[in-house]
Amino acid sequence: MEGQGIIFVCIFVPLIGAFLLPIVGRVMPRLRNILALLFVITAFVTAVIALPQALSGTPILWQMKLPLGFTMGFFADGLAVFMAMTSSLVASIIVFYSFGYIEHYPNQNEYYMMVVLFIGSMMGLVYSTNLLLIYLFWEISAICCWRLIGFYRGKDIVLRADKAFLMTVGGALLMLIGFISVYMQTGTFNLLEMQGNTITTAAMVLILFGILSKSATLPLHTWLPDAGVAPSPVTSLLHAAVLVKIGVYVFARLFLVNFQLDPVWDTVVPVIAGVSALVSAGAAMVETDIKRIIAYSTISQLGFIFLGLSCGTMVGAAGGLLYILMHSLAKGGLFLCAGIVEHSTHTKDINKMGGLAKRLPITAVAFALCAFSVMGIPPFGGFFAKYMVIYGAATSASPWLAVMFIIGAVMTIIYLLRVFIKVFFGELTHPDIKEGSWEMVSSVAILGVLSLLGGIFINLPSYVTTFIIESLLNL
Amino acid sequence: MISGLSSLITSGNGAGLIWIMIVIPVILAFLALIIPKTAYSGRATVLVLATVINFIAAIAIFCTKETTMLMPWAGFEMNLAFRIYSFSGFTVLLIAVFALLVAIYSIAFMRNRNGSGQFFFYFLLTVALANGAVLANNFVVMLFFWEGLLVTLFGFLLINQHSKPKTAVKALIISGIADLLLMLGIAFTVFQTGSLSMDAISGLSVSGMGLFGYLCLMLGALGKAGAMPFHSWIPDAAQDAPLPFMPFLPGSLEKFLGIYLMVRVSYEFYQLVPASGMSIAVMIIGAVTILLAGAMALIQKDMKRLLAYQEISQVGFIVLGVGTALPVGLIGAVFHMLNHATYKSCLFMTAGSVEYRTGTTDMSKLGGLMKVMPVTGICFVIASLAICGVPGFSGFFSKELIFDAALETNWIFYAIAVFGVFLIAASFLKMGQAVFFGKVKAPNVSMLKEAPPAMQLPVVILAIGCIVFGVCNFIPLHLIQPIFGSIIGNHDFSGWPHSATLVIISCVILLIAVLNHIYGYKKTGAALSAVDHIHYAPVLHSIYNGAEKRYTDPYSWLMVVVKIYSYICFGIDRAINWFYDVLLVKIVSFVSSRLRMANNGSPSRYMVWSFSGIAFIIMLFIALM
Repeated sequence: MEGQGIIFVCIFVPLIGAFLLPIVGRVMPRLRNILALLFVITAFVTAVIALPQALSGTPILWQMKLPLGFTMGFFADGLAVFMAMTSSLVASIIVFYSFGYIEHYPNQNEYYMMVVLFIGSMMGLVYSTNLLLIYLFWEISAICCWRLIGFYRGKDIVLRADKAFLMTVGGALLMLIGFISVYMQTGTFNLLEMQGNTITTAAMVLILFGILSKSATLPLHTWLPDAGVAPSPVTSLLHAAVLVKIGVYVFARLFLVNFQLDPVWDTVVPVIAGVSALVSAGAAMVETDIKRIIAYSTISQLGFIFLGLSCGTMVGAAGGLLYILMHSLAKGGLFLCAGIVEHSTHTKDINKMGGLAKRLPITAVAFALCAFSVMGIPPFGGFFAKYMVIYGAATSASPWLAVMFIIGAVMTIIYLLRVFIKVFFGELTHPDIKEGSWEMVSSVAILGVLSLLGGIFINLPSYVTTFIIESLLNL
Repeated sequence: MISGLSSLITSGNGAGLIWIMIVIPVILAFLALIIPKTAYSGRATVLVLATVINFIAAIAIFCTKETTMLMPWAGFEMNLAFRIYSFSGFTVLLIAVFALLVAIYSIAFMRNRNGSGQFFFYFLLTVALANGAVLANNFVVMLFFWEGLLVTLFGFLLINQHSKPKTAVKALIISGIADLLLMLGIAFTVFQTGSLSMDAISGLSVSGMGLFGYLCLMLGALGKAGAMPFHSWIPDAAQDAPLPFMPFLPGSLEKFLGIYLMVRVSYEFYQLVPASGMSIAVMIIGAVTILLAGAMALIQKDMKRLLAYQEISQVGFIVLGVGTALPVGLIGAVFHMLNHATYKSCLFMTAGSVEYRTGTTDMSKLGGLMKVMPVTGICFVIASLAICGVPGFSGFFSKELIFDAALETNWIFYAIAVFGVFLIAASFLKMGQAVFFGKVKAPNVSMLKEAPPAMQLPVVILAIGCIVFGVCNFIPLHLIQPIFGSIIGNHDFSGWPHSATLVIISCVILLIAVLNHIYGYKKTGAALSAVDHIHYAPVLHSIYNGAEKRYTDPYSWLMVVVKIYSYICFGIDRAINWFYDVLLVKIVSFVSSRLRMANNGSPSRYMVWSFSGIAFIIMLFIALM
């Protein structure tokens, strides 16, 4: 079929290119930075090129037979392309931001290599047609994440990186057992061949462990706030572009599309998500570390995404996908803003900050735009996502779920306002700071503006998500 | 551009008009923000130009016959749909009139103040969003514009308050909760009919799922209108926000929106049955709002705070009228909404003129201003007579209609409403005499003069409105009644109230208020302390004390609940973390230390391990056999 090259470029340019970067970096650091950005942008551009064909109904497919009856392959349907676009778009901005942020730290070669490899593994994962391949890329991302969280090398920091690695890999191993039990049942690892099967509860639970640990959902979430010790662009990458979105994607891929589930899961998963959303929202109110607060906010918002994807209605599922996009843009922006604040004030404690809007006006506005989007206030993109998820829940088999999530949404408004006001308003605490470098400031501005445009021009993203859901669920 | 506009307007092209009302204010809002502070007249021109265009377009919309337009937008039936019809046209016209008047006032008021660019920016965005919310014909579109007002509300309250952002936070949280309830209400309502289109939903019954749907929609609308328990940010905003904010948002626009939705929810989407449980519940909200806010207004010592509490109390009357589910209550409520916006904007603006000239609204520092600011003073008196419901003025006629409806449901509601009139009259007598009569008193007596003409003009227009809407009440009523033709039939509510008894009771109440004022004034010798005998009465004193300390503010309680809840969640989270960071590590190291003891290098121990292993396998084998 035409266009298979596109997928290969999308996956392997970042995946292989990553290993070139340290070599280039020894000679010309500037070129290495530009190459890193270029690799990620390549992934984005190729994903955009693949979009029309994905939406045409005959997605690009490439498959290869392996010995012992195994197959491997890549498949660019709407869901995969949508995820690839979302991730690589936000990742491009994050890499650009890193130019300013990471400039003065050692180990930059490793940094850029790991970041680009991270994105490459994400690209590989979303296009994979094979459960084993998904597992492979899943673990590559875990390794990258481990190195990146431990970037600063302090003893405590490395411990936390180990924690993140152990928790996600532990979950992944359980998931692998789940995959194997699916194989025992269906006789194949190929996703396309096992569509529509019903899987056993045991396999479902095992796979869910993997997904919930990667997507940081209660009670497997505590590594995510701890990962806040990483450099801000890395946390941004973990929360917005790659890591936690992997779990959500696999959930959508397996349980929305591939397997028939017992209807009881339409209630069980939303309840897990709801408890996770409510508890972490409460924790976000108490924390005083700006990055930990935003991290708890991610856990809470992931609850909304899971709710949308699992509540069993089409509007909810489309809302969940839209939520992934809007949350990526906004949460990426929030972390990058936190990075600028942290860089300027040399602290992460919000009680020691105040009145920074006077000194960091663009950062403050960008933070406000992104925070409004996460709160779900129009005209920002988060509004539609939140409405569709709530509506999906209200029309599902258990409408009381909607009430649970409305409480979560109220808490979101309260804790995000608390951070915003404490950091940017009140008495000025750091009179002699100034805005971050132009790369950093323009990155957050772009993400803030994209959050706004995402709401006003909702027709574009929602056309894609609507198409995906309609084509997937009408199989 | 202007000629294109005029041809659009004269052609009566509804769809084009809708775009003018939404897009042009947004574009001009950004223009007002960009124009530098030094070119203040440029900013001011943009503001007036935008509101004038909006006003002309609103007139054209009001005259257009029913039009709908629809554009695909966000999928799943979330179409960009608008509908011009009698009620939305009427409401949009009201918004435009008040926006224009407040804009003229703000230009004079905001001159030489910081933040005028931001103020004009939020002002025009608010106009655009309010227009969109009223004209929307799709629930999601309405919610989009409606909730968007949160952003401008937050922005307004942050202007010049960078070091004290508390009020902005409070307003955003309270209004945000109301809007999320509205979202939930929409979800439940749409679920019953399966359509997002607003004109496709009518006459749902308030039971089962409909009960929740109706309740959540009403709470959302009440939140916008500022009825209890969503009221407590308004008095704080009165003190913190630039003054024109008060006549603009809480004074008029938010009321129009809230009551517009309340009426549509109760009479169109749902069929609220008179004297049903839900009708009584809404009326109770109204009655409680009248009573408590009126009581709070009584003891205020600051003009702006006093006016803010009275404004909340007036919303109570409107909610009471809507809640009766009777035609007379409906007409009374909508008429009262118009009257309320008229006199309350006028009152806020006069308070603004006082602040503009004297630099304060603290009533203990003011007095006798009628001598130096006669126009402002006379307008204040006229608007006060209207809000107190003195026969002949606008507020009287709309209140009598609401009294009629309240009495028809239950005399208790009527009694509370009448008592509310006493509270309002008493607080106005106190404020009026303290500020405008007696000896001239102000921080800067020698420099006092009448407010600038641009500030006087809207005040005078509104004061005239208070008289005209009273004396010639057929003018507004003949505009309002046709909108609800299907509900009220051919009944005409204009002219003098039909029940002489009710009028006499109202007059007696006003007389009692006057006597009460004279009694208090004689007792203490100061107009400002004329209600002290109520304020410091034995039991009331402690209640008022608690209220002043914000014990009665629902927001304070909400924050306490949130705090307790948060610490519980934080505890759960820390416990889970402890499991991973401490317990799991301990278990693993304990197990591994035991295993290490087993492997200590002694050959005899390894022998034991080997033999017991072999024995185990053999036993397993036998067992399996």
